[in-house]
Amino acid sequence: MNISTDPWVWIAAILTLAIFSFLYKENPLYRFAEHLYVGIANGYAITFYWHRVLVPSFFDRVGAASTPIATKIWLIVIAVIGALYFTRFIPKVSWLVRIPIAIVLGYACGASIPRAIDAEIIRQAKATIITRASFAHWQTGLWAVIILLGVIATISYFFFSSERKGVLKPLSYAGIIFIMIGFGASFGYTVMARISLFIGRLQFLLGDWLGLIK
Amino acid sequence: MEKENILIRLQRIDRRWIYLVLWLVVMIPLIFPFKIQPQPTPSVEKLFNYIDTMPENKALAISVDFTPDTRAELQPMVVALLRHAFATQHRVGILTVQVYGLGLAEEAIRQVTAEFNANANTRADSVIYGEDYVFWGWTTPVLTVMLGMGERITNVFPIDYYGNRTETLPIMQHIKNYDDIGILVTIAASAIPRSWINYAQTQFGVNLSCGITAVSAADFYPYVNSGQFIGMLAGMKGAAEYEQLVRERMVKNGMEWVLRNRGTEAMSSQTAAHLAIMAFIVIGNIAFFATRRKRK
Amino acid sequence: MQRRIPLIIVLLTGIFGAVAFFVPYPAIRNADEIMRNDVQRIITAFSLVLGVGSIVQHHLLKIRRKAQFWPYSYITIVALVITAIIGVFGGIDVTRPGVLPTRVGNFSFHIQTIYSNMMVPLAATMFSLLAFFMSSAAYRAFRARNLEATLLLLAAFILMLGAVPLGRFIHHRLPAFAEWILAVPNTASKRGILFGVELGIFATSLKIILGIERGWLGGGGK
Repeated sequence: MNISTDPWVWIAAILTLAIFSFLYKENPLYRFAEHLYVGIANGYAITFYWHRVLVPSFFDRVGAASTPIATKIWLIVIAVIGALYFTRFIPKVSWLVRIPIAIVLGYACGASIPRAIDAEIIRQAKATIITRASFAHWQTGLWAVIILLGVIATISYFFFSSERKGVLKPLSYAGIIFIMIGFGASFGYTVMARISLFIGRLQFLLGDWLGLIK
Repeated sequence: MEKENILIRLQRIDRRWIYLVLWLVVMIPLIFPFKIQPQPTPSVEKLFNYIDTMPENKALAISVDFTPDTRAELQPMVVALLRHAFATQHRVGILTVQVYGLGLAEEAIRQVTAEFNANANTRADSVIYGEDYVFWGWTTPVLTVMLGMGERITNVFPIDYYGNRTETLPIMQHIKNYDDIGILVTIAASAIPRSWINYAQTQFGVNLSCGITAVSAADFYPYVNSGQFIGMLAGMKGAAEYEQLVRERMVKNGMEWVLRNRGTEAMSSQTAAHLAIMAFIVIGNIAFFATRRKRK
Repeated sequence: MQRRIPLIIVLLTGIFGAVAFFVPYPAIRNADEIMRNDVQRIITAFSLVLGVGSIVQHHLLKIRRKAQFWPYSYITIVALVITAIIGVFGGIDVTRPGVLPTRVGNFSFHIQTIYSNMMVPLAATMFSLLAFFMSSAAYRAFRARNLEATLLLLAAFILMLGAVPLGRFIHHRLPAFAEWILAVPNTASKRGILFGVELGIFATSLKIILGIERGWLGGGGK
């Protein structure tokens, strides 16, 4: 056993235990840690929004003698539009907050449409289609056929526009089988993920703090 | 009667007993680990081999797109990727599109560069900031980063994490945009890898791969299947497998250093915990069905 | 006006965002670069005001109303202010300190130190609690009531065993089988769902640009 003498490691260990105390029951120590987390996280974000976005992209450029006047005015106009976010807290003019939101939201939606169709629909559909190359080996060919059937079956399960009879009935049932296997896979991996997070904390407590892990 | 009581009691057991069992099951193998070696899966090998055989003039870009909550399973991936890139003498560019990913990237860079520089005898063995690697840092929004990096990286990140002007760094003469990046690996716990595909790959054709939290890993297999991702690291298991491959590669390069591999270190506990969770489910089901049959 | 102006802006910026992808003219490319590097970046930076402002407002209101656990709200506000002051005035690079010293003797309270030793343990531990809640839920609620649930359970078991090195000791092909489940049936189902989700996102994006979906405007205004 080789306990850490670093005060920061002790602070981290105490905060870790404070959060874990919630497992026994809700308590003031947990509430303290929870509120502290929210405060620090926001303070950290402010730091980098200031130093790594606003300063280099706005203040440095507006303040530089080499920046043309037109560019400076342009940047100030953008900053004024950005500052409209503050109006969210002034009830009389709070509607103005919609302007910066509209600029960001509209551009993001417009930019995503053609790219997402290409990347998520066309490329995925192409990967589902069986070609002669899929049968380079019998196994890959068989797996490609199963994937194609599975995709069709899964989509048909979510097809609610007509009654489930005829070919749609067995197809949608096959769909639910595929979906359940997919959800099972997700659950199995979720277990792994959650356990990993706990292992991470114990690696810190037992290793970095108490020095029990060699 | 006695049997029924036990079964009913098993169903109503205080949740804190379950917590205690889980705590012990994870803790004991960490202190007394059993020898267990992860075997790399094809998707992990694919990413490893791609980076390993990448031309020397192509850089590896690592986007640390996760936040501290998933640090345990994703940080070992960043560390292993950095070790691999430095061991194979590829230039590295590190960035994040999550503000809370900055500190994690900084921790990983500090750890791995210290490991390499502590064992370096010559300039070729050491890793130097601004020449061998660069930490571009973070900016917002994601569209600015993912689309802008296809044109000119120094326009997206005019200053790096440490406050240097990026255009003054020698490494930036070799990494101008995606054309100079052999592969960009995004390590994430959200849908960000999809955004990398949509914006960076669709428009600029950059090669991508991802390291993803196990919760989302199953959702990303369609992209590995379609070839949009060159392999994938899934959760702590993926990290452990990559650590193994990197360790073997480093030994082959004569770098027989004693390094901590947190992913591999966790595998004993992970195994024990999986068995415990399966036991919980089985016991819960036995108790449930036995009491239901009795009731009928 | 209060609704019409934002709707016109969303239409124009939406069309521009899509057009910039297809039109290779240098003028459009340059305008798109300005849109991303100047407009989007600076406006998004200000959006932090919404998040931080809402949190501060929420906690000040709690203090004013002396709501349940109100004294803890002071902790959030004080931690926020102190962290922001240290970060903004103390500098980011340890070797280039800002106007505020972040070291007293051997004790450092630099922003990265606070991040690594306070924020990381708090966030990571908070999320690690999920391991416990999940195991409790698995014990109490995960029942093989029918064929579908049994299939889910079986797939989960195979994955859990195949994902850890123990799997190959049970059967040497178990990890490969787990990988096959992920790569074949799982891929099929996830891809089927993905098509639906993506078409949904596409339709919603289009509705936002065309002003059919107006939820983002919030209430009020004409």
